[in-house]
Amino acid sequence: MLREIRHYAGVYLRFMSTCFAAASTYRLHFVLLIIMDQLFYLSMLGSVDFLYNNVPKIGDWGRDQFMFFVAFSLAIDHLHMSFISESFWEFSYDIRTGKLDFILLRPLNTLFSVFARQIRPATLVNFVTPWGVLIYFGLRLGLDGWAWVAVFPLVILGLLLLTSIEILLSMLMFWTVESMGINFLRIQLQTISRWPDFIYQGFAKRFFTLVMPVLLIGSAPVYFLLDHSRWAGLFAMGGALLMSWLLIAFFWRLGLKAYESASS
Amino acid sequence: MIICQGLGKDFKHYQKTAGFVGSLKSFFHRSYERRAAVHNFDLEIQHGEMVGLLGPNGAGKTTLMKMFSGIIVPSHGKLQVLGHVPFEREHAFRKKIALVMGQKSQLWWDIPAMDSFLLLQKYYEIDNRDFKKRLGELSALLGVERQLQVHVRKLSLGERMKMELMACLLHRPDILFLDEPTIGLDVVAQRNIRDFIAQYQAQYKTTVILTSHYMADVEALCQRIVLVLGGTKRFDGPIREFSNILGREKFVSVTFSESITDPTSFWATFDPQWNESRTRVDLRVPEAELRSSAVAILQRFPVAEFTMEKLPIERVMNALLANPQLLKGAE
Amino acid sequence: MASAQLAKWWATIRISWNKQLSYKLNFLLLVIGPSVVFFFVKYSLWTAIFRLEGIDKIQGYDLSNMLRYQIWSLIVALVAQGYNSMNLAEDIRMGRISAYLVYPFDFWSFQTAGFISFQGLQLVTASVTLLFMFGLGFLQHLHVPDLISGLAFSLVVSFFWYQVSYLIGLAAFWLEETWVLRVMFITISQFFSGAILPLEAYPKYLLNMLAWTPFPYLTYTPVKIFMGEYTGSLSQAWLTLLAWMVVVGLLNRLVWQRGLRLYTAAGM
Repeated sequence: MLREIRHYAGVYLRFMSTCFAAASTYRLHFVLLIIMDQLFYLSMLGSVDFLYNNVPKIGDWGRDQFMFFVAFSLAIDHLHMSFISESFWEFSYDIRTGKLDFILLRPLNTLFSVFARQIRPATLVNFVTPWGVLIYFGLRLGLDGWAWVAVFPLVILGLLLLTSIEILLSMLMFWTVESMGINFLRIQLQTISRWPDFIYQGFAKRFFTLVMPVLLIGSAPVYFLLDHSRWAGLFAMGGALLMSWLLIAFFWRLGLKAYESASS
Repeated sequence: MIICQGLGKDFKHYQKTAGFVGSLKSFFHRSYERRAAVHNFDLEIQHGEMVGLLGPNGAGKTTLMKMFSGIIVPSHGKLQVLGHVPFEREHAFRKKIALVMGQKSQLWWDIPAMDSFLLLQKYYEIDNRDFKKRLGELSALLGVERQLQVHVRKLSLGERMKMELMACLLHRPDILFLDEPTIGLDVVAQRNIRDFIAQYQAQYKTTVILTSHYMADVEALCQRIVLVLGGTKRFDGPIREFSNILGREKFVSVTFSESITDPTSFWATFDPQWNESRTRVDLRVPEAELRSSAVAILQRFPVAEFTMEKLPIERVMNALLANPQLLKGAE
Repeated sequence: MASAQLAKWWATIRISWNKQLSYKLNFLLLVIGPSVVFFFVKYSLWTAIFRLEGIDKIQGYDLSNMLRYQIWSLIVALVAQGYNSMNLAEDIRMGRISAYLVYPFDFWSFQTAGFISFQGLQLVTASVTLLFMFGLGFLQHLHVPDLISGLAFSLVVSFFWYQVSYLIGLAAFWLEETWVLRVMFITISQFFSGAILPLEAYPKYLLNMLAWTPFPYLTYTPVKIFMGEYTGSLSQAWLTLLAWMVVVGLLNRLVWQRGLRLYTAAGM
C-alpha cells in the first residue's frame, strides 16, 4: 500500500515536472493563458456585480453572499483548470489518434495516467483572483473560524464531484470517438453549476440535483459555510461521489472493450 | 510465451455514399457492417524467438499486435501471453512487455526525450542504478548520447525512432512488439535500427515480434515468418522454407545488350518481369530446369550480364499476393 | 472564367458541408446545447430574479421582455458568432497550407467557402431554434421588416466574426496554440456585447467607451433590431461595424503576408 502510494506520488511529481518543462518552452502561450483565465474571472465577477447594481437581492442573497458563491465556484474552477481540465481534451485526442495505446501499456492505473497527466502551470499563478475575492467577501460576511477551516477542504470536495461527473461523461468518448460534443456538454454543465441552486426550479432543479448532481458542487458547500445547520447537502455530495465512481468503474471496463485503437 | 487459439477480432464500421445527399442520409440512418480483421488465428511463440509477421496493409498484423499487448479485446478465441491474459491488463503483465509503433510516438513532443525517460522510470519503478546503467548502455549502442537533451520535435525521424526504442527497452521487457519500426526511414537509418535490434536481442534473448513492410528487416532479423493475409494465417515456418512455397526456384536476372522483342513464349513459364526498354528481365526458374534454361538463354539471346541467386523474400511476397492460390497446401 | 471560379467555390462549400454533417452527435449537441442552456440557466435566473424579488422592471425590462432579449441573443449568437478557426490554425501548423500555395484556389477562398457552408448550417439551426421558441410562445409578435433588418445586420456581424477568427487563426504562424486567443476574444466580446446582461445594466461611462468598439454591435444592436426596439442611430451602427471590418480586413492581409514570409523562409 505504502509502496503503491510512493509509486503514484513519484509518477505524479514527474507529470508535474514534465508539464512545467513543456510549458516553459512556449512562453507566449504561458502568458496568454494567464490573461485568458483572468479575463474569464473578471467577466464572471463583473456580470454579477453589474447585475447587483440593478437589483438589491436575488433570492435571499444580497451582493456579498452571491459574490462569495461566485468566488467559491471560481476557486473550484481554478483548481480544475490547473490540474484536470487539460486532460479531458488530451483524452479525446488520445482516443482519436490511438495514442491511448501507449497509456494502456503502462503498469499503472490507466484512469490515473489519463486524468492526472496534464497540469497547466500557467493557471496555478491565477489563484490570486478567486481566492482574493473569496476571502474579501468571506470577511464581509463575517464567516466564523469553522467556516474558514472548512473552506479549502470544501473547495476540494466540490472539485472532486465536478471531476467525477465529467470523467463519467467522457467515458462516452469511447463510443463517439469524436469529442467536441462531449467536451461541449461538459462545459455547459460547468456553466450550470456556477449558479446557486435556488435560481433553478422544477424539473431542472431535480434533474441537476438528483440525476446529474452538478448543482451540489457549489451550492451545498456554500450553504454549509453560510449556515452550519445546512450540512445535509454535504452528505448528498458524498453519496453522489460514491455513485459516480461505481459508474465510472463500470463504464471504463465497458469502454475499453469497445476501444478499437485507431489504426496506425 | 504467446499462445493463441481461434483468435478473432471484428470491427464495426458504416458506409456512406459520397456527396451532399449521402451525408444527409448517413446522418439519420447508418448501416453498420462487421468486418473480421483477424479470424480464427492460431499461433505459438517460444521464449527468445524472433518472429516476423508479414502481410500487406490491412491484413491484420497490427490488430494482432494490439491484442497480444492487451490494447484491444479479442472478439473470439483464447489468448495467453507470458502466462497472462493480455486484456485483463494486470500491472505485472504490463511491466513485462513493450510496444513500438513506427507511426505513433510515445514520447512527449514538447520536451526532451530525457524527460520522458525519467517519467518512464517512475512508471516502471526502475531503480536509479539500473536506470542510469541501461540509459548509458542503450544511448551508447544507438549513438544518441548527445540527443537526449534535445526537444523531441527537433529530432530527425531516425533519431526519434532510436529514442522510441530506448523508451521501451528501459524496463527490460520480456517481449518486444515492433510494429513497423523502420517505416519512413532512409536506408542507412533502417540498417542502424536493424543492427541494433539484432545486437540487443542476441545479448538479452528478448522475444521479439516484428512487423515490417521492408523485407530486408524481416530477412535480417527473423528466423521464423508468419504470413497473414485477410486476417488469417497462411504460412508459419522458418524463413528458409518460405521461398519454397513457390517450389524450389532460383531468382535469375538477365541483362541484354539490345532490346528483346522475342514474340515466342519462351519466357512465359518463368514469371518474367521486364524493364521498360526490354533490355533486362527478372525470372523465377525451377531448380531442376536451371541448367537447361540458362544454356538456352545464353545461346539464343545477346546476354550482357547473367546473375542467379536464391529467391528474395520480397519476390516471394509479390508472387503470393498476386496469386494467393499458390498458398493452398503450403501449410 | 467567373463560372469556373464559382464552380470551385461551390465544390468547396459542398465538401465542408459534408464534413460538418459527418460529426453526428457533435452537430446535435451544438444545435440543442445552447437552447438547453438557455432554459436551464438564463430562464431560471431571470424568473428567479423577477419572481422572488417582486421587482417588475429592471432598466425598463420586465420578465417577458428580458426573456425575449435573451432568446434573441441566443439566435444572434447562432447566426453570427458560431464560427471558429480551429481548422485554419491546424492547416497552418501542420504545414498543409503548402498545398494552397500550389492550388489554383487560394487559402482565403478555401477558408471562406468553409465559413459559408458553416453559415448555411448555422442558419438552419437558428431557424429551427426560432420556430421552437415561437412555438413555445416566448416571441409573440414577429415583425417581418425587423426580421429582415436584423438578419442583414447579423449576417454582416457573422462576417466580421469570421474575419476576426481568421486573424486569430493566422496567429498559428507564430503561436503553438491559438485557441487561447479565441477564448479570450469570446470572453471579452460576450461580456461587452450584451450577451450576458442587456447593456442598459452597464455603467454609463463604460457604454460611452464601448460605442467606439465593435462589441455592442455584435449582440446588443442586432438583438434590439430583431426586437424592433433599437433606439440608437442605425446608420451609425452600420458605419462603425463596417469601419472595423475594413480594419480587420487590412490586418488580415498584413498578417498573412508576414506569416507567409516566415513560413516560406524558415519552412516552419
